[in-house]
Order: sequence, then structure tokens, then C-alpha cells
Amino acid sequence: MAVAYGQAMDDLTAARATMAFSLGFHIIFAAIGMTMPFLMSAAHYLHLKRGDKVSLELTKMWMRGVAILFAVGAVSGTVLSFELGLLWPGFMEHAGPIVGMPFSWEGTAFFIEAVAIGLFLYGWKRMSPWVHWATGLVVGISGFLSGIFVVAANSWMNAPAGFEWVNGEATGIDPVAAMFNRAWLHQSAHMQVAAVQAVGFAVGGVHAFLYLKGRAPELNLKAMKIAMVFGAAAALVQPLVGHFAGERVAELQPAKLAALEGHFKTSTYAPLTLGGIPDEDTETMHWGIEIPGMLSVLAHRDPAAEVIGLDQYPKEDWPPVLVVHVAFQVMVGLGMLMAVLGLLHFWFLKKGKFPRWFLGALAASTPLGMIAIEAGWVVTEVGRQPWIIYEVLRTQDAVTPVPGMVYHFLLFLILYLGLGGMTVWLFARQIRVTQRKVEAS
Amino acid sequence: MIDILVFFLAASLLLYILMGGSDFGAGILELLPAGELRERQKKVINHAMGPVWEANHIWLILVVVILFMGFPKIFTTLMVSLHLPMLALLLGVVVRGTMFTFRHYDSIQGPRSQGAYTWLFGASSLWSALWLGIIAASLNRGLIDNEAGDFWSAYVAPWWGAFPLSVGGFVAGIFGFLACIYLLGETEDEALRRRFRRWGAVFNAWVVVSGGGVFVLSLAEPVSLARQFLGHPLAMTTLLLATLLCGVLWRFLVKTRVVWSRVIAAGQVVLILLGWWLLYAPNGAITVQGPLSFYEQAAPEATLRQLVIALLVGSAFIFPSLVFLLRVFKARRPGEEEEH
Ligand code: HDD
Ligand code: HEM
Ligand code: HEM
Repeated sequence: MAVAYGQAMDDLTAARATMAFSLGFHIIFAAIGMTMPFLMSAAHYLHLKRGDKVSLELTKMWMRGVAILFAVGAVSGTVLSFELGLLWPGFMEHAGPIVGMPFSWEGTAFFIEAVAIGLFLYGWKRMSPWVHWATGLVVGISGFLSGIFVVAANSWMNAPAGFEWVNGEATGIDPVAAMFNRAWLHQSAHMQVAAVQAVGFAVGGVHAFLYLKGRAPELNLKAMKIAMVFGAAAALVQPLVGHFAGERVAELQPAKLAALEGHFKTSTYAPLTLGGIPDEDTETMHWGIEIPGMLSVLAHRDPAAEVIGLDQYPKEDWPPVLVVHVAFQVMVGLGMLMAVLGLLHFWFLKKGKFPRWFLGALAASTPLGMIAIEAGWVVTEVGRQPWIIYEVLRTQDAVTPVPGMVYHFLLFLILYLGLGGMTVWLFARQIRVTQRKVEAS
Repeated sequence: MIDILVFFLAASLLLYILMGGSDFGAGILELLPAGELRERQKKVINHAMGPVWEANHIWLILVVVILFMGFPKIFTTLMVSLHLPMLALLLGVVVRGTMFTFRHYDSIQGPRSQGAYTWLFGASSLWSALWLGIIAASLNRGLIDNEAGDFWSAYVAPWWGAFPLSVGGFVAGIFGFLACIYLLGETEDEALRRRFRRWGAVFNAWVVVSGGGVFVLSLAEPVSLARQFLGHPLAMTTLLLATLLCGVLWRFLVKTRVVWSRVIAAGQVVLILLGWWLLYAPNGAITVQGPLSFYEQAAPEATLRQLVIALLVGSAFIFPSLVFLLRVFKARRPGEEEEH
């Protein structure tokens, strides 16, 4: 990243760091908020169908988790909606009217979600069981929709549409065209699959770990299986969706593609580089493994196709190549690893027996999906730099004039680290209590 | 289009004050000494606020979304000039929301941790209410200055001073009062009801007193609320009416007529907001450079149309689902043990 000129953080860097940190924090809870209700509904369904106690215990345990995580997701989201204006007034002034539409639909989705979660959490004895079950499902569906809307808003920053830019002002605004821009489909699809995948692996991994430790084995095995069905299925689809995203980026933002591949020179038969460290000064890649022609195939389905390199752009329009490239390698690498684990999971599920080494591997992969999500967002957001609206408005022209942004950053850093720590602590307590309860019965 | 949007904006703000406000007020109540009633009060507040907590605060998000999509210039002006109070408000909102939930869902309900949650929830509720009032007061005092050269006049002066603080105190009073009226109908416990009635009276008195303070302090303001009121008979009438309703409210409160008390309390808030609106319409804010009118600062027509559609369709989902929520939880069965 283009960091710190001089001693302290300058205001632009601090604002970017604040945005990155707030979003990086929110996305964890958002992903959970979009996926957990489905896992919970699955367990709840098993309970209602078969009447088994363990599924009920599991539903309630997950429900308490969802309630805690949901609160953190909701407040951090509220912060974000303010931060769009607090940090980027120059952006919102133009972008608000153009891309506000998905946000306004998102508002509706939140409302339904908020009502449904109230009903689900507090309504155990106040509704018929299946109506109650359905409210849990509605939480998931509306959460899923809000994720799609907000990512559509983000995709517009990558593929601006629905307006004309004349003399620094937007005219001819068409909010519908803006929402359904050229990037909304690949980004939304990829993100929603990512959420399911990351949460499936995270929850599955925790329960695999507890199972291996011999705690409440029936509960934890069941939990692991439910979560991993979601996680593994998503992991198998994700490389395809990711490939689709890559093709679109090649078409819409060639500079971003070049940065994420560390592709400095425009060429035909462009190679795909695995790993490696790009050097912006010498414009070369060090230590990467090259697969000849593969990048041309992936980006344009033809080994002879020309892939635009960074040399087509003036250097001040380059995104930070190193950060973007490393983040991309991390995301893809983890994606491939999880796809293999997903395949193995279905294999063992079919055989009806999970070897301990595999459960250990699952436990070890608890954070992988979340890491991949964070890396993916770094690819998208840092890869868009120096633009806040791609090739329309520069980030530095959108930042707030308020000085001392570094304090704003520190405030949220401390606040969120505290909240994150507390959340982990609450979960440790909860897992302990539920296990004692299950083991006692 | 603009009229419809301004209506939605005002309605969301009103609903946030009424529903979110009683939620803030509950926090303030928990901050007050409660003696042996503390545990019982906590339980009632958990059950009364828990199911609607999420929905209550979305009104605020709606306000923000309508502003940035429909009136982007007003939104960005406020977010720049009032950066610091907005930040303070956010801090409070984050802490109170999470502490309320953590307290309820912590699986080990130890006295120390519960006490800490309660204190943080209460303190951050009071804190946020004060800052909400300060922000509200800053909108129309004519000190917002997007062209100011120095830090103080650009980012501090717009909200600094006794007047905004007094509005903060006034808002905190209203929230506490709303909470008492709301909670009164949420419990059968006589001791608690007595407490809510008593504190309701205190808050109500505080609202009248601090309201007077707001009036007096505003005389020294560049754009003076008091002088505007005096020059606007209709607005003056709404304010007087709101004050007079206190007496009526008293009678219902003493008899614990829950529904009527709620209606009248809500009516008072509506009247106060109406008076405010009559004074300042159609301006979203008054700056050093002049007023920012909703009519002059609106986004292009195509945007407004989409926003109105979203809001209308949204309402068609939101209101029925809210009614359903309230219906499900209004069927209160005394002594019932919740299971969660
Ligand atoms: C579990 C998480 C996860 C996994 C395993 C992957 N991704 Fe990803 N990726 C994301 C999570 C993610 C994301 C967080 O969802 C992003 C960020 C923004 C977005 O729309 O999706 C993203 C962005 C993103 C972009 C940039 C899109 C843009 O800027 O418009 C590309 C090109 C890819 N991904 C490609 C891939 C490929 C080829 C993968 C191979 C397996 C892959 N991703 C795995
Ligand atoms: C939750 C997932 C997201 C993450 C983790 C994320 C991450 C980031 C990061 C790392 C930056 C800083 C980039 C830099 O300055 O180098 C950034 C900037 C920004 N993001 Fe995102 N982002 C996410 C989603 C979104 C969405 C959904 C929106 C809007 C609808 C958005 C709007 C912005 C804006 C306005 C900036 C500041 C301008 C800029 O740096 O380009 N982001 N984000
Ligand atoms: C600039 C970017 C963003 C803004 C302004 C934003 C805004 C918000 C707001 C205001 C809430 C609270 C709603 C409530 O009270 O329930 C929220 C929650 C949520 N957000 Fe975000 N958000 C952003 C980025 C994202 C991204 C990138 C995703 C996912 C892809 C996402 C998905 C969700 C979900 C699913 C919730 C529901 C609550 C939860 O599950 O915790 N948001 N967001």
C-alpha cells in the first residue's frame, strides 16, 4: 500500500485504513449473518422432523451465537453507513444519488431481517413450531438479499454505469442502470458463495476440533456435518465463480488484472504466475512459477490472446501491485485448498466415516474461508486504487477535509479490537456451558 | 417527489425517536439507582426491548440512506461539519447495542460481568442521547460553515456551546420519559410500575425545565429558536399544546391507563417535532452560507423516483411485518418463562 509519507499517518492514509478496518471487521459478521441462519434452520428442521434433543440443543446454541454476532454486525454496519459520509464526502456527494438505490433496498431487507430475528429469538413459545421455523429462514433470506444489494453498490465503483461525467459533475443519472452494472453479477455471486463457504468451514472446523477433543461427540459431529455440507458445496463451486470474476475483471479493469497477476508487460501467450513477488521498480516478477499461455487462456479463453499489462498505464494509475498480487495468491491458494477439502468431505460423508486426520485438517482450516474473504476484498478494493470510482474519481479527491483522521482510526481500532475480543470470550463461555449441559444429559 | 421524501424522512426520524428513544431511555433508567428492583427491572427491559431492538434502530439507518441518496449535499455538509459529534454518537450506539445483547446472551450470568454490561449500556445510552440532541441543535443554529479556514470554526464551533448541550439534556429527558411510559405497560409488577411512574414524573418535569432552558439559552444564538418561535404563532401553539398535554398525561399515568398514556406521550413528541419543523421547513440545515433547503438540494428526479419506489415497496413489507411482530409479543402471558 502507498503508506505514510513522513512521520505519522497522513489523513488520506488514515481514512483509507479506517475504511479498510471497519469493512474488514463488518464483513466477518456480515458473512456470518448471511449464512448462520441457514445452518440454524437446518438443525431446527432436523429437530422438528425427528424430534431429537441434540438438534434442538444445537439450534439453540447456534441461535445464541447468531444473536451475539448479529448485534456486532448491525452496529458495525451502522457505523459504515455513517462512515461513507464521514470519510468520503466527496464520493457520496456524487455517488449517493447514483448508487443509493441498492442501499435503499438494503434498508428494506434489513428491516425484514430485524423483525424476523426478533420473532425467532423471542418467539419460541409464541408461534406454532413451523411458523417459528420459517421466521429463522426469513432471517437468512433477507440477510442474503442485503448482501447482494450492498455488493452491487460496491461493484458500481468498479464498473461505473448509469450516469455521464461532465466537468466533474454527474448528469443523466439512471439508478437502475447503475445498480445492474457490468460487475454486479460476478461480485455478488462470488461474495455470496464466499460467505457460505467461509462460515461453513469456520463452524465445521470449530466443531471438528471439539469433537476431536472428545467433547459432546454426538452434538459436535452433527454440527460439523451440517456446517460442512454448506461449506464443502460452496468450496466446490467457488473456483468456477472466481474464474468468472477473473474474466470480467480482465474485461472491465485490465489494470487490476495486471496487478493481481503481477503482469507488467503487455503480451500474447501471457503466462500465469503462481506465487512470486512482483517488484514495481524493476517491473519484474521474482521467484514465481510460470505456466506459459495460461493467463491468456484464463482471461480470454485463447492462449494467443493479448493480455494488457501495467505498461499500458502511467505509473500514477497503478494499484499497489505487491499487496494486490499477494492477496490474490492467498485467496486463490486457499480456495483451491478448500475445494480439495470439500471433495474429501463428500467422499468421507458417503463412506460414513471421518478419519481423525481429516477432522484435524478441518479443525486447522477453521479460519481459512474468512482469510480468503479478507484477501478477496483487498484484491477488489486495493486493486481499484488510485480510483474510488474507477477512472472517474480519485480516492484522494473524495476524502474528507477533516484533519486528524489518525485519531478517528485509532478510536475504531481500539473499539473494534475490544468488541472482537469480547465476542471471542463470550463464545468460549458459551461453548463451555452448552457442553456441560449436553454431557450432563 | 420531494414532499414524499421529506415526509418519509420526518416519519423515520419520528419513529426513531419514539421507538429507538424509549430504547435509549431504558438504558438511562438502568443507570439510575434501583436498589433491590434492579434485577426485576432488567428482566422487564430485556423482554420489552429484546424483540424490537433490531427493528428500532433501523429507523436511523433509513434516515441516513434517505439523506445520502435524496439530499447528498445536505448529508455531506453535516458529515463534514459535525464529524466529531457524529463520531461520538456512533461510539455510543456501538457500545449500547452490543452491551445490551451481550448482557442477555452471555451464558454465564455472573454478577460482576452483568453489572459491567448494565453500566456500559446505561452510560452509553445517556451519552448517545446527549449527542443526538447536540446534533439536532446544531442543524439550525447557523454556525455550520463549509468554508471555514480554521479547525475550531469548521469542526467545533458548529456544535459547541451551552445551547446544544441543553438540547441534549432535553432529548435525554424525553427518552427517559418515553421509556417509563412504555415500560409501564410491559409489567404487572406493582413495585416496578410505581418506579416507572415516579421516574416518568421526574423525567417529565425535567423535560419541561430543560425545555425552558433551551428556550432561554437559544436567545443568544445566531439563529435563535426562541425568537423564531415567538414570531410563529402556529409553532408556538404546538409547543404550548405539548406542554398542556402533560396535565392530561398525568391523569392517565396515575390510573395506569397504559394505552392512553402512550398515545399522549407520542402525541407530545409529534407536537414538539412539528413545531420544530414549522419553524425550519423546508430547510434541512442552516449554515453560515445560508439555509440548505430540501427543495434546492435534492438529487435528480430519476433518483428521487427510485427512492420513493423503494420506500413505498419497503413500507408495504415493513409495516405489516412490524404489526405482526407487535401482535406476537403483545399477547403477554403473566408469569411466563421465556425460553432462550
Ligand atoms: C471464501 C472466499 C473466497 C475464495 C475461496 C475465493 N474468493 Fe475471490 N473473492 C472473494 C472471496 C473468495 C470475495 C471476498 O468475495 C471477493 C471480494 C469482492 C468480491 O466481489 O468478491 C473476491 C474477489 C475476487 C476477484 C476480484 C473481483 C473484482 O474485483 O471485481 C477475483 C478476480 C477473484 N475473486 C477470483 C477468485 C478465484 C479465481 C478464486 C479461485 C478459487 C477465488 N477468487 C477464490
Ligand atoms: C466488506 C467487505 C469490504 C472490504 C473488506 C473492503 C475493504 C476495503 C479496503 C481494504 C479499502 C481501502 C483500499 C485502499 O485505500 O487502498 C476500501 C476502501 C473503500 N471501500 Fe471497500 N471493502 C468492502 C466492501 C465495500 C463496499 C460494499 C463498499 C460500498 C458500497 C465499499 C466502499 C469503499 C469505499 C468508499 C472506500 C474508500 C475509497 C477507496 O479507498 O477506494 N467497500 N475498502
Ligand atoms: C459500505 C459498505 C456497507 C455498509 C454501509 C453496510 C451497512 C450495514 C448496516 C447499516 C447494517 C445494519 C443492519 C441491521 O441493523 O441489521 C449492516 C448489516 C449487514 N451487512 Fe453491511 N454494510 C456494508 C458492507 C457489507 C458487505 C460487503 C456485506 C456482505 C457482502 C454486508 C452484509 C450485511 C449483512 C448480511 C448484514 C446483516 C446483519 C448481520 O448479519 O450482522 N454489508 N450493514
